[in-house]
Formats: sequence, C-alpha cells, structure tokens
Amino acid sequence: MLREKIEKYLLDVQKPSRYIGGEMGSIIKNPDETDVSFAFCFPDTYDIGMSHLGMKILYSLMNSRENYRCERVFAPQEDFENIMREHDIPLYTLENLEPVKNFDFIGFTLQYELSYTNVLNMLDLAGVPLWQRDRGEALSPIVVAGGCCVCNAEPLADFFDIFILGEGEEVNLELMDLYLEHKKRGSSRSEFLRDAVKIEGIYVPSFYHVSYNDDGTVKSITPDDGIPPVVRKRIISDMDKVFYPDNFAVPFSEIVHDRAVTEVLRGCIRGCRFCQAGFLYRPFREKSAESIFNQSKVLCENTGYDELSLASLSTSDHSDISEILSKLIDYTEKNKINLSLPSLRIDNFSEELLEKIKKVRKSGLTFAPEAGTQRLRDVINKNVTEEEIMNTCRISFEGGYTTVKLYFMLGLPTETDEDIIGIAELAQKIVDLFYSLPERPKGKSVQVSISTATFVPKPFTPFEFEPQDTREMIEHKQKLLTESIKSRKIRPSWHDPSVSLIEAVLARGDRRLSEVIYTAWKNGCKSDSWGEHFKFDIWLDAFRRCGLDPGFYACRKREYNEIMPWEHIDYYVSKDFFIRENIRARKSETTPNCREKCSACGVNKATGGKCFD
Amino acid sequence: MIKVRAIFEKKGRAKYISHLDLNRFMMRVFRKSGLPVWYTEGYNPHPYIAFALALSLGFESECEIMDFSLTEGVSFGKIKKSLNEIMPEGLKILSVITPEHNVKDIFKAEYSVECLTEFPEKLSCELERFLESDKICVEKKTKKGIKTIDIKPDTEISGYDISEGKLILKIKLSAGTQNNLNPMLFTEAFSSVSPVKFETGNICRKNIFCADGEIFR
Repeated sequence: MLREKIEKYLLDVQKPSRYIGGEMGSIIKNPDETDVSFAFCFPDTYDIGMSHLGMKILYSLMNSRENYRCERVFAPQEDFENIMREHDIPLYTLENLEPVKNFDFIGFTLQYELSYTNVLNMLDLAGVPLWQRDRGEALSPIVVAGGCCVCNAEPLADFFDIFILGEGEEVNLELMDLYLEHKKRGSSRSEFLRDAVKIEGIYVPSFYHVSYNDDGTVKSITPDDGIPPVVRKRIISDMDKVFYPDNFAVPFSEIVHDRAVTEVLRGCIRGCRFCQAGFLYRPFREKSAESIFNQSKVLCENTGYDELSLASLSTSDHSDISEILSKLIDYTEKNKINLSLPSLRIDNFSEELLEKIKKVRKSGLTFAPEAGTQRLRDVINKNVTEEEIMNTCRISFEGGYTTVKLYFMLGLPTETDEDIIGIAELAQKIVDLFYSLPERPKGKSVQVSISTATFVPKPFTPFEFEPQDTREMIEHKQKLLTESIKSRKIRPSWHDPSVSLIEAVLARGDRRLSEVIYTAWKNGCKSDSWGEHFKFDIWLDAFRRCGLDPGFYACRKREYNEIMPWEHIDYYVSKDFFIRENIRARKSETTPNCREKCSACGVNKATGGKCFD
Repeated sequence: MIKVRAIFEKKGRAKYISHLDLNRFMMRVFRKSGLPVWYTEGYNPHPYIAFALALSLGFESECEIMDFSLTEGVSFGKIKKSLNEIMPEGLKILSVITPEHNVKDIFKAEYSVECLTEFPEKLSCELERFLESDKICVEKKTKKGIKTIDIKPDTEISGYDISEGKLILKIKLSAGTQNNLNPMLFTEAFSSVSPVKFETGNICRKNIFCADGEIFR
C-alpha cells in the first residue's frame, strides 16, 4: 500500500506533516462515492502553496459538489523527492494519499513563470507523460492549468491539454460537468477536448498551429477547423454571490501566510503600466462590507486562526474601506484576533479610525514608489508622490516607527542614471526627515531599506512591447545606486538579474520554448525561484541546444504591429489600449484612474456598459 | 478559574505533528471550540495550554496529557464532545478530568516498541541475552555535548509479544523533568549488538506513571 510506503520514510525528512495531509479543515471523500476527481497541484512547496488563496477557493468550490472530489498536491522538497524517486513513490494527493496519475483531472495553478520546471518535475514524479501528444486517446488524466500565467502559457503549450482563462469559480465546474458526460459516454480525449472548447474560457493549445517568420517572430496562429480563433477569459460578475470558502485546510506546520484571508475586491483602478495583475483582473469589482465582515467572521470561527488579513490588489480603493476596517477592528479586538492590514493609503481616514488602526498595526512601514523620480513614476503611471511618502513617514515617525521599506524596480522603460540616483536621494530625504523631527522616537536610529527588483516586461501590459535591460545595464545601475548611497542608515538589496532574464523570456515566450524548458528541466533545473536552486548555466545551455536566443525574447523591442504569441488570447483589455498607453508613457503622460475617468481599455465589453456609476 | 486535564491519543497521520506544531494546533482547536478557555494576559493573548510530557516526532501515544483552564464551569462530557468534534484523524480526547497529580510527579513512561524482523523468535532470545548484561551504555546528546550513560538502572522490560514479522517490546523508562529517556536509545543499543538484524517500527507511549507506580492522572 502506498500509505505504508510513504510512512516508512516520512521520519527521514524535514517537517513530515507536510506530506501526510489530514489537516483540520481538509476534505477527505470516499473515491468510490464520487464521479469526477481533480488533483489540484501547486508547483511549489507546501509552505508556499498552502498560502495561496486561489487554491483554497477552488478546492472548497469543487468539494462543495457532493459527487466531485478535489485533493491537494505540492512539490516535495529535495530530501523527500530523492526518497520518492529511489523507492518508486509516485506523486500523490494529501487527502486519500492516492497517486495523482489516477485522477480525472490534474490541474496546476501557474502563478509565476519560474515554477514551470516544477510543473514538468511533478508530472514526471506522477508518472504522467510530459508531452500532451504522448498521452494518447484515453480520456484521463486531463492535464489543465489556470492562474495568471495562462494569459501567455505558450511556453508550456505542448505539455497541457487545456488552459483555463480567467476566474475559475464557474468554468471549473462547467468543465467537470462536461467531463462527467463524456466519461459516462466513454469518449476519447480528443472528443472531450473538441467539446470543451465550446465553454468560454477553455483554451486547448493543441488545436492551434503557430508559424514563424524568418526573423523568429510569429507569422500566424491558425486554429483547426471549427475551433474558435480567439479564446476569451471568464469573469465573475457579482462578488457577493460568488462562492467563497467558509473554511480552510489549516496546516499543522507553519507556512508563509498562516492566517484567515478574506478577499475584498478584484481588479484594480490604478493602471500602473508595469503591473500585469492590474490589467488581467479587470474589471474592478467590490465585495460589500457586509459580505466581507460575515465571511471574515465565519472563517475565523471555523479555522480557529488568531490572525486575519484582507486580500486584493489595492484594499484602500474599496469605496467602503472605513466601514470595513472599523467593523473588523472591533470584531478582532473582542475575539483576540490579530488583524494584519496591508499597506493602506491613509490620507482620507477619520481621526477616530486612524487611532483604531494604530492600535492594530504592528508591522513596519512599506512603500512601493517603484521609481526614483517623479518623471519616471509618471512614465509607469504609479501615482505615488514624494509629498505623500514624506507625509506618511512623518506621521509614522512621530507615532514611533523607525523602519521604512521601499520597493523599486531597475530597468524601467526610459530610465536614466538620474532616475537611479533619485532612488538614493529619496531614501536620504527620509533619513533627513527623521532627524529633523523634534517628536521622533528618542534614542533610536532610523533604518531605510531599499529593495530593488529587475523590471520584467509582461504580456497584457502597456510595456509588453518593451525590451528588458541587459544584465550589463542592470549591473551598472546596481553599482551606481550603491555609489549614490551616502548614509549607513540606508540599506540596498537586489534580486539576481539572471533570474529576471529567464522570467522575462518565459513571460513573453512562444511555443518553441517548450523544448528549452524541457531540456533545462532534464538537465537539473527546478525550483528556479529559490535562489539556491537556480542554475543559470543550465538554462543558457538549454537555449543553445535548442538554437534559441534568450535575448530575442527578453531584450528585444516589439513593434506595435508584431503578432504576439498570445494574439489569440483575449482578456478584454484591448491591444489598442496598450499601444495608446505605451505612447503616453513615452511622453511621461499619466492616465487617470478608472474611477476618475474611463480610459476605454475595453473591459466594459464584459461589464456591458460602465464599470462605475 | 478551573483547571482541567485532557488525556488524548495521537495516532496515525497525527504522529507526524511536531510538539511545537501540536501546541499551535491545540490553540486553534480551543478557539474553534467556543469553550470558555482561559487566555494568557500578556501582549499577545492566547489560550493557555501546557503539555505534561513532550512526545518525540513520529511516536504514537495513548496517554498524552494536556492541561488548560476554563473561566466558567463546563461539564467534562461536554468538553470532550466539543473537542472531539473538531479533532482531525488521529487525535482523540479519551477523557477529561480534574488534575490529580502534579507534572513534577511524572517518573516513568511505558512504551510499546515494534522491532521488525523476519525472525522474531530468534530476536527474543537475543533480547533475553542483551538484558543479562550489567550495563546498557548509550550516547546521549545533552546541552553540554555527547555523554555516555548507562540506562540499565532506568530501563525495565515489562514483557514482549511475538507476532508475524515483529517482536513487540513493552518497555518502561525514566521520564519527566529530571531524567527523560527516549526508547530509541534502547533499541539503538540493542540493535548495535544483536546478531539478528531488525528495524524499529512503530513506537507508542502507553502509560505515564508516578514514582509510587500509580498512573499519572
């Protein structure tokens, strides 16, 4: 029996409770009493995957249907993976400890490009043929993926049967319903897939054929007969009616985000030009204050968590934020629950609410100016001004805070040395501000940390046309920043630019990269987002072997009329809008947020009119 | 404030929950249960819970002890029921009582230890021989480094069973705050001299005793 085999080795690995399931709140169903099974795989470790809200939502959703069964799967850490490979333990689910291979669906959530090698590794551990073409005509297992990266999952196209575009709450169940019909009918894989594309949001990559120009760009994307030329994402219309879990599987061991989470809104009104999520999740939709409160309360009661947080792209933009916070603070205080609040714009809060928030907030101050000068912040449409930062810092320093964390990106379009020096200057102004305040915390020193990431241009953003800086350019900028910092109160840190290069390649890549990912994985790449596992040389070698140049994908400027590898994928926001925004960016012109003025991005095709009254 | 003691078992999947994780888990169980449990009064209030004797990761137990307090009276039957409604597979409250002994009274713990071998009969003969030796010297990790100690005086084999593929030892060892011995020390010492090879299988704590031989309650 598989369970005995697992248990035999479990005490030889770190944190074994991650590999045996049975957590409070997990849902274990009898396989004989369910019709369709779904193995939900997160292509990273338990500690990371169990922190992911989307997985919790879809897990509970699928299990809410009595005859459907969803079970969780995570990537094993290296110590356990070695044991699994040595002793022929296949990848299994945590609920019934059942081999993943036996499931009707094997579903991955693609949250970041650097998890792609883990997808291959998990399919391999499961004993499932990696290439879609090798899976034959048996109906199961159907290998599917969702999540933000499927907006351009072309680099993984050859490994998947289906990509599910957009929000999953409705489409996942529709897909399982259809599958059940075909299972009863005894259909083949391709019969099912041909029928599945009739569901909006279902993209079957093997039904599309890509040809390339001599210069390596995409020439055409041609669907098979009867297959829709464009696939559109799914959108949930009413945030108060959509399914939200009333319980989570609560891990025994500590994970990254170990708390109850309530989603407060979807989409974003801000339109920061580098931010993919801001465009992918449009339109902006709020959950009512009442639903947020009720769902939070039920979740705390059912999970027993002593910490609650709110999830969204920009919680401050909820039109009823004061009411939400006020009610939640009262509830959590009474029930001895820590309310962990995200970074909030506090400009328009009442004195009374500010007092309440002060009592709750314990973490440090965090800002994401993203760029060092106002000019560059206008280019990226990030509407944070120096004045706002200084103002909030002053209030916070006077309230006893001594540490500030600032997030920036290096390599933004139009960036010059002046913008880099601006980062150091902004940090210095904050240090100077601290010492200028008579009311500052006595006997304490200030600490400003600067965290810089390399900018990665993403599809479905106004910067999808832009080249990424080369490694040499980024290294120059890092050096310049270090030299510009004059105070020991300021601490810079960076990400490895070679990791960002691979991320940029995969983000805007095409189907030819399937071979590169496969080769890199075969030669030992996995868990690329974990610094200690990232093997740049092997990646470069994989590109060489496949005759492809990473610079072509990462560091090349695209013309507006170039056919993108994701040209047949529709997230409602139009390419025309991205071109308009790109032109404005070049002129350092900002675009007002959606509440102030509609910029005709195209998403109102979905909302059937206006996004705001 | 009412002091309450729960005796619970930890088996199956639950044996992989570490001691620290179990502590956090039980706090969540109490929050979820809605029982009027007493919270600590510090900066970060949480349900007060104390475990009498930590259990090694990977061991099962039929006699785990958890102490907590209530701010108002609730029948023991109701406490047991509300906790068991929440407990996942492998964790079960066996009884809820008013504490009789103090944690400092803990003196011995009894374990059943599976020794997996093709030749359990032969292994039992080896065991008999092993127990005749004057000393059982083992290396024990302490805060000051590795120390060689003789556990013979603190070890008592209260019996063994032979079944297919295994010899199941009943072993009583010193336990508590002063001198706490892990049964793995004994099996490792035995395994290093026994010509009949075996692997250590499941280990389960069966009972906790006071110095006078009474079961700790």
